[in-house]
Amino acid sequence: MQVSTKWLKDFIEIDCTADELAEKFTMAGIAVENVIHAGAGLEKVVTGKVSEIVKHPDSDHMFICQMDLGAGELIQIVTGAQNVKAGDIVPVAMVGANLPCGKKIAKGKLRGVVSNGMLCSADELKIEGDSSGIYILPADTPIGVPAAEVLGLDDDILEFELTANRGDCFSVFGLIREAAVLLNKTPHFPEIKVTEDAGKKAADMIEIKIDAPDLCSRFSARVLTDVKLGPSPEWLQKRLEGAGIRAINNVVDVTNFVMIELGQPMHAYDYDEIVGKVLNARRSVVGEQLHTLDDSNRLAKGDELVIADAEKAAGLAGVMGGFETEITEKTKTVVLEAAAFNAASIRRTSRAVGLHSEASGRFERGVNEKATVIALDRAAQLLQEMGACKVCKGIVDIYPNPKSAVKVQFTTKQINDRLGTNYSDKEIIDVLKSLGFDISDIGAQMDAEQAIDRISTAAKHFGKIAKNIAQAGLTKTFDKLIDSSGVKEFIAYEATVPDWRNDVTIMEDLSEEIARIYGYDKIPATLPKGSQQGRQSKTQNFTDKIKNILAALGLNEEISFAFTSVETFDKLQIPADSELRRAVPIMNPYENPLLRTNLIGSILENAARNLSRKNEDVRLFEIAPVFFPKALPITEQPREVLKLAGLIMGRRDPKGWSQNSAEVDFYDAKGIVEELFAQLSILNYTVEAGAHYALHPGKTAIFKKGREILATVGEVHPAVAESFGIGKKIYIFEADIETLIKCTAKKFAFENLPKYPAITRDLAILVDRDVSAGEIEKVIAKYAGNDFKSVTLFDVYTGDRISADKKSLAFTIKFQSSERTLKDEEADAAFKDILNSVRKIFNAELRA
Amino acid sequence: MINYFATKMERQIQQLRESAATMISAASDLKELDNVRVKILGKKGDLTGLLRGMSQLSAEERPKIGKIANEARAQIEQLIADKNAELKAKDLQNKLASEKIDVTLPGRKIHCGHLHPLTLTLNRVKEIFIQMGYSVEEGPEVETDYFNFEALNLPKDHPARDTQDSFYITNEILLRTQTSPVQARTMQKNPPNTPIRMIAPGRVYRRDDYDASHAPMFTQIEGLVIDKGITFADLKGTLDFFCKQFFGENTQIRLRPSFFPFTEPSTEIDVSCPICHGKGDCKVCHGSGWLEILGAGEVHPDVLKMSGYDSNAVSGFAFGMGVERLTMIKYAIDDLRLFFENDVRFLNQF
Repeated sequence: MQVSTKWLKDFIEIDCTADELAEKFTMAGIAVENVIHAGAGLEKVVTGKVSEIVKHPDSDHMFICQMDLGAGELIQIVTGAQNVKAGDIVPVAMVGANLPCGKKIAKGKLRGVVSNGMLCSADELKIEGDSSGIYILPADTPIGVPAAEVLGLDDDILEFELTANRGDCFSVFGLIREAAVLLNKTPHFPEIKVTEDAGKKAADMIEIKIDAPDLCSRFSARVLTDVKLGPSPEWLQKRLEGAGIRAINNVVDVTNFVMIELGQPMHAYDYDEIVGKVLNARRSVVGEQLHTLDDSNRLAKGDELVIADAEKAAGLAGVMGGFETEITEKTKTVVLEAAAFNAASIRRTSRAVGLHSEASGRFERGVNEKATVIALDRAAQLLQEMGACKVCKGIVDIYPNPKSAVKVQFTTKQINDRLGTNYSDKEIIDVLKSLGFDISDIGAQMDAEQAIDRISTAAKHFGKIAKNIAQAGLTKTFDKLIDSSGVKEFIAYEATVPDWRNDVTIMEDLSEEIARIYGYDKIPATLPKGSQQGRQSKTQNFTDKIKNILAALGLNEEISFAFTSVETFDKLQIPADSELRRAVPIMNPYENPLLRTNLIGSILENAARNLSRKNEDVRLFEIAPVFFPKALPITEQPREVLKLAGLIMGRRDPKGWSQNSAEVDFYDAKGIVEELFAQLSILNYTVEAGAHYALHPGKTAIFKKGREILATVGEVHPAVAESFGIGKKIYIFEADIETLIKCTAKKFAFENLPKYPAITRDLAILVDRDVSAGEIEKVIAKYAGNDFKSVTLFDVYTGDRISADKKSLAFTIKFQSSERTLKDEEADAAFKDILNSVRKIFNAELRA
Repeated sequence: MINYFATKMERQIQQLRESAATMISAASDLKELDNVRVKILGKKGDLTGLLRGMSQLSAEERPKIGKIANEARAQIEQLIADKNAELKAKDLQNKLASEKIDVTLPGRKIHCGHLHPLTLTLNRVKEIFIQMGYSVEEGPEVETDYFNFEALNLPKDHPARDTQDSFYITNEILLRTQTSPVQARTMQKNPPNTPIRMIAPGRVYRRDDYDASHAPMFTQIEGLVIDKGITFADLKGTLDFFCKQFFGENTQIRLRPSFFPFTEPSTEIDVSCPICHGKGDCKVCHGSGWLEILGAGEVHPDVLKMSGYDSNAVSGFAFGMGVERLTMIKYAIDDLRLFFENDVRFLNQF
């Protein structure tokens, strides 16, 4: 909705600037998105008459003009224009003007002659017109007045961004009603009066029917004869232009004008083209041809509301008129329609057709069905005043179930309690009355429930007995008691909602009216009484903890979209039968059509993006849900499973003048997981070689606790990496958050510092290459006796100095007792047991 | 004779003392000084050698010369000790001088991880509300039409649905367009009229074009307070407190009436620009001095009723805000896409 302030000023005095008015509207909930100053830049441009014009002595194309700007004194201006002659009235930019074209006018000399301004072309003023020379104004133009005024640019356009509930403000009258309250002025609405001068009765000429009363609550029509089609008068065209609507012809323009003025969309039919002289608001028939005025044929789906004549649909009601009955130069008789259509139905149809018009927008928000006849009268009046038609007698008005006025009961206490304010009865009633509500005092007519409530609340004034009696139904006695007690807040009122306000139905709506008119800035700022315990869930705390640990371990948290695609599954080499391919499909995707089932795809995409931007050291993690359907096709909400994924690539240490430039490897990724688990108190897990769709088959480790898989760590399969455009080695890990929570040690056990010294023994052995170090550590722990404390693998060697199928492993084994200092012999004995067992189990040789 | 020896010895001691002082003072390093010490005070040193002549002295003179000799020894020892300290200090000084490094070389870098800026904002918001007694609730990201719309007083064909273009899974299941469904879920899991103070942070989805200010997925925080006598003024006070905590004590808020189907009265809340403090010409607030950050209002009675609460017994307020928006304002970030590109040069700054 946009409207010029001039249009508003037709009906109300506005004694503030357009910007101030916009601010007042916005702060009352009628949001103005933008104010366009049509005359911006024309502040120092006035009309001036060329009093004298002579050739510039030193130029063959310039002239020296003496301009009469109405101030008595002549002003000298040099111009290069060739179309100006003495006596012309032209727009003159005075010194200091800052024109819409960007030119700034200063005092100056042109070839030595003083020039105190500039004569303007249409282009320089950014107005329409011949730009080959100076814009010549009509000869009767007054001199010395602002050019903006003469050019009709002394206007401001308010662009409203109206909320869905305020259909009434989609009209000049609605905005005037609001402005009247906000500016505290009395509006002067035009007198709407029609002279029915056509002789014929409308009802004799056209029949109006409503076959779909659920979609059309009222259908009113007037018939106009002797129609003289032509352009609208300029004032009307200007008004429409200000509202952003193109002028077409007087009949269509008037229907549009009335729509903007009153908010009631209208439609004009060529009477002669209406077959059977009947207009019926009915549901379309499935497959029915709809020939709309954009000359396209649409097939009806069967539930659109159409306006049909005896033969065919003559338009999609409220959305688009029909082709055949469109107003044309041949039109002599017109049927004007003003109807109230069902908002939801119009919304469905306009969405389906993809057409959102000024009319459909108003119907979607609900029109005032009481006002259809007023709109018809207003349109007929305007056309009649233009001499464009004669008006038949009467309105054909089908209104099967006239809407009764909405009444809302309230007490000022209710309103104040909701707002946290302390407005008096008078303050509240004054606002509501100014907005058009009728208020009546119904204190004595309250129903029993409210009365009991009233009296119960009043009980503190009367003692406990009052409540008992109140509940016994002796309300009248207590009404008198209350009345005499002066407890004013218990007076109940009934507000009759004005017919244009379809958004007000309950007391809470009234409270908003009070708040917005007095201003939200007047509402006090308080804090809720009482208190509660603030908290997070266990999972939330756990997730926060993981994030903090991983950040401390040098990983950056990433956040990526939850969408994925089959192509991504292919790139990840997810097997065809995997659950990870059973993704939730989106009916209307933006790009990727599936919800992700893993976080690996997006983390690899992020790594690839970083790499393409030459960020070589990338360390990322993400915690986010993935989605698994319970059934396909989807019948219920999918399972949402919170997952963790991490990724490292590039240098182990940041690039620097004295830093190691080695790249990360599998064990860096594994170390991150181990440290994470240690900090989360996930203990006593095992690690074994495993398989994962996206990982290197020889560099995949599975962290397990019992049957639960805690995490998978590995090097990304080179083929997978390559499909994401990554040519480097890249390591990832993934885990399931709920599983981690489940496997966290229930109690944190603090271990005291040792009182007695430890003894260590180093064990260096040669074993076959495929023996896993983890297995050897397990055996060491098992045979190391009661005082075994820990085992640490500190060296791994393969190479020339030993046979090719062997590797050398070196462990430090620590023995310690919490009760006494161990003797060397005890450690030696345990060490011997360990050595014997690794020899026996792994065929290990002791290295010298 | 005797007197002659004593006098000679006294003189020799005096000479020794003087030559010792010269040698000590001339010693250029600790080793040389030690040589001097050995030469004079050592077992075979000059002083010892001199004192061997003591036997030739008379009994009366011996203690006298002995005293002189001891004094001389003490003096020489003191000189050596002083010189020793001096040389040590010099040595240390030399050592330190030789150890000088270029302190302007950069320090050794550490791979530090960073939480995502959206998480930092979320954590701060959670902290502020948890200290005010709010619990942090969650709900599914794939929601039913009922919880996402209908339970919030947004029936099918409601025009307000237009502003939230949804990703549909089926006609009845969609990616939630707001965190508001957690309101209804929280109310419905409680016995009717149970007081509530909650926030619900989470990802939401709208079918918007992906550009500098829109993304198909973003983060919202919903808030809901329900109790006896919760007023619109309480809403204002709570969010005023929140904004001052989040953006700084000098922050002002401005409430503009608005419309949401699930609240009545409804408001949009602007915060005074924390970058320019309303002094204009600012790329964040474009000179207006105000930034819209919140939608809020008193909970609509229909919303309470639909979730089993009695609107005559309790009332409440609700609010919703965008985490991206808060973060962009706080750090003057002008392109939303930076959050989802996950460029480590961006992430490393937070």
